[in-house]
Amino acid sequence: MIDPAWVSGLAAILFIIGLWGAFSRKNAIVVLMCIELMLNAVNLQFVAAATHWGDVNGWVYAVFAIAIAAAEVAIGLAIFLSMYNQHETISLDEVNLLKN
Amino acid sequence: MSESGIIDYAVLIPLLPMLAFPVILFLGRIFNGTPTWVKNLKEGGIIALTVMGASLLLALAVIKEHMNSIGATNVFTWFETHWWEVDGALTDRVFGVGIYIDHLTVMLLFVAAFLCFLINIFSIGYMNTDPINDNRNHRFYAEFVLFCSGMLGMVLADSFLWLFIFWELMGLCSYLLIGFYYERPSAAYAAKKAFLTTRVGDVFLVIGLAMLWNMFGSLDYAVVFDPVEIAKVSSSELQIALGMMFIGAVGKSAQFPLHVWLPDAMEGPTPVSALIHAATMVNAGLYLVARMFPFFQAADIGSLSTLAIIIACIGGITAVMAALIAFVQMDLKKVLAYSTMSQLAYIFTGLGCALWFANNGYEELATFALGASLFHLFNHAMAKGMLFMASGSVIHEMHHAHHEVAHHGHDDDHHDDHHDDHHDDFDAQSMANMGGLANKMPITATAMFVGSMSIIGIPFIGGFWSKEGIIASAWKVALKEPVFLFPAMLVLIGAGMTGFYMSRMWFMTFAGKPKTDVAKHVHEQTPWIPIPLVVLTFMTLSAFILAGMHAGAWLGDYQSGHYSNFFSGVGEELQYVFLNDDPFLMVLTYVTIGLSFILGPSFAMALYGGSLDDDDEAKPWMQWAIDLSARVNKNSNFDNSAWANSSLAYSLEKRLHFDDWYDAAMLKIVVGFAYISAKFDKNVIDGVIKTIESTSQAASAKLRALTTGSARDYIMMTALGTLAIFLLLWGVA
Repeated sequence: MIDPAWVSGLAAILFIIGLWGAFSRKNAIVVLMCIELMLNAVNLQFVAAATHWGDVNGWVYAVFAIAIAAAEVAIGLAIFLSMYNQHETISLDEVNLLKN
Repeated sequence: MSESGIIDYAVLIPLLPMLAFPVILFLGRIFNGTPTWVKNLKEGGIIALTVMGASLLLALAVIKEHMNSIGATNVFTWFETHWWEVDGALTDRVFGVGIYIDHLTVMLLFVAAFLCFLINIFSIGYMNTDPINDNRNHRFYAEFVLFCSGMLGMVLADSFLWLFIFWELMGLCSYLLIGFYYERPSAAYAAKKAFLTTRVGDVFLVIGLAMLWNMFGSLDYAVVFDPVEIAKVSSSELQIALGMMFIGAVGKSAQFPLHVWLPDAMEGPTPVSALIHAATMVNAGLYLVARMFPFFQAADIGSLSTLAIIIACIGGITAVMAALIAFVQMDLKKVLAYSTMSQLAYIFTGLGCALWFANNGYEELATFALGASLFHLFNHAMAKGMLFMASGSVIHEMHHAHHEVAHHGHDDDHHDDHHDDHHDDFDAQSMANMGGLANKMPITATAMFVGSMSIIGIPFIGGFWSKEGIIASAWKVALKEPVFLFPAMLVLIGAGMTGFYMSRMWFMTFAGKPKTDVAKHVHEQTPWIPIPLVVLTFMTLSAFILAGMHAGAWLGDYQSGHYSNFFSGVGEELQYVFLNDDPFLMVLTYVTIGLSFILGPSFAMALYGGSLDDDDEAKPWMQWAIDLSARVNKNSNFDNSAWANSSLAYSLEKRLHFDDWYDAAMLKIVVGFAYISAKFDKNVIDGVIKTIESTSQAASAKLRALTTGSARDYIMMTALGTLAIFLLLWGVA
């Protein structure tokens, strides 16, 4: 079996990649994908920790997080759709209604 | 804690009128103008009368019970609260309501309850027949009973706190009743003036009470009058506290220099003048000063003398000043108002003497002076209440007669039907329009005659006994303490002046030929009004009985605390007054009588005396005085035009310019203060607020830059914030 430490390290790398993508990309869908990546990194972390401690709670959290992430994706895509209807773009740089 | 007996029900004495207050007010609101309300209930007057009658009966029962244990102090506690201590025991009383009855309470209780009842009878005659009161008398009676509740409550209260509460209640009712004719600007002004002037004194009263609380930890009489407690506190501090309370009394009792409100208070209806501004409320200040007696007894010898001297001097100054101003007043009620001030000042002087004696260890003399002062309070309240009611009767009938003359254009050659607005150019209160009323209003004239004699101090009638006692006490102190020569001289001079102004008032009103057409048509016709006049006339005439009781209780056997035989009491009093063992006091008596009985009235007769119309004849007990005045007037060729035109007379007519000075000073103070406040408001308050506003606007302009509207920035901030929290938690861990 793989040492949970490696799994944990992979999760950290995935999280940093996701964070970097969320900062730097301007396409809303890519940003959403990066956020998903971060979420799944955390899931991985949960699983790794559950394996390490021998505690099923981590697996349960991971299952919940996956379910919520699915709902979140549905809402996020619906928002982008409505954004596209209004602004004819899904570039985050173009959308700044809340400025100042 | 309380003994059983009628005293258990004494709480009802102030409570009944207080409950009647909303009843009359709301019933009046609902049934205003309906025949039953107007005819049978006299617009609330009958309800008020019932309640006051019940209060009077209860008060008499309480007084009778107290008389059986004279000298004792009866205390009844209605309810009280305590703090709970940890072990379940009670601490000292924190707050409570109760009744405290001693000789002082009894005196004031009788005066208040009796006069409230009588003046209520008078009001029904006076208020309900006056057309300008139409349909608002329920307001009068409601405020009237509320006032009675305040007065009775103040007298019965068992702590200075409740005394103060009821004191303010009276102040409020005084304000409301002076301003009863609120549509008249002068009445509204007078009400404000009375309220604000007494407020000046009340502020000091509160300070004094706060100091007392600070010293004793309580305001209950039971605690503060405890000699052991009084011995513990600092005398100089106590003197300041009592001095502050005395200023409150000065305001309430209209003494110099806070006297300016009382003459203006005559704007109220005459029953109000009689009750509040002559017979009861103005006595509240005297009651407060008399309540201080135990402090003076228990404090170190001579440590409170200064305050006693100040009280006596304020009294002396006011006695002479008010009498001087009364010399030139033409308004019947104003003369009586100044007379009230002057007589209250006598009582203050007497109390000053009593307090001085008490503080210097002359217990018997102190008791005598206190008794004389309280007795003068009693006599003055009875006589002045009667005089005001009689003046109200005169004014009322003058109004009626004027109405009659103006509308029917009576028999004479004098027709002024053209004056439609006749109420404005005829002053029914001015003595210049009266004269020769002695035969037209026999009951009123007799009441005024007896009342004036009582106030002057004609031997054997009413105020003579008590005024004699006050002047004698003042001189007795003066022999021991030279500073007291000042008030002693003033009260002696004031006695002669009283003789002049009271006689002047009576002769101008009732003797001589009628000075106007209206005065010829005056009749005594209003029902209800004569009842209290007759009762009080007999009350005043029989004051010698009380003088005998007074002498028996105070002079003869005062320490055993029981009345000696009434006849021996009268004998002792007579002997004390007329044939005193001390030649100085005996001479003093005759000097006083000479001044007040001979000199003052003689001048008044020479100036204002005169016989009635030829076919008119007054009652025999007044006719001799009128005849005498006519003879004196004819033979004396007394010319006072030099005096009447002097600048002194002018400034007296202007009430010695006190009102002008106060107005000017108020103007300076108020406008100056308003100017400074405006500056402060503009610069400091506005400045602070504007600085806060501009600073926060600038800060928000800076903070706004953080909200870029870009989702990526928000993600960054969230991430950085989370990171910061993690680092923080890590650091803490």
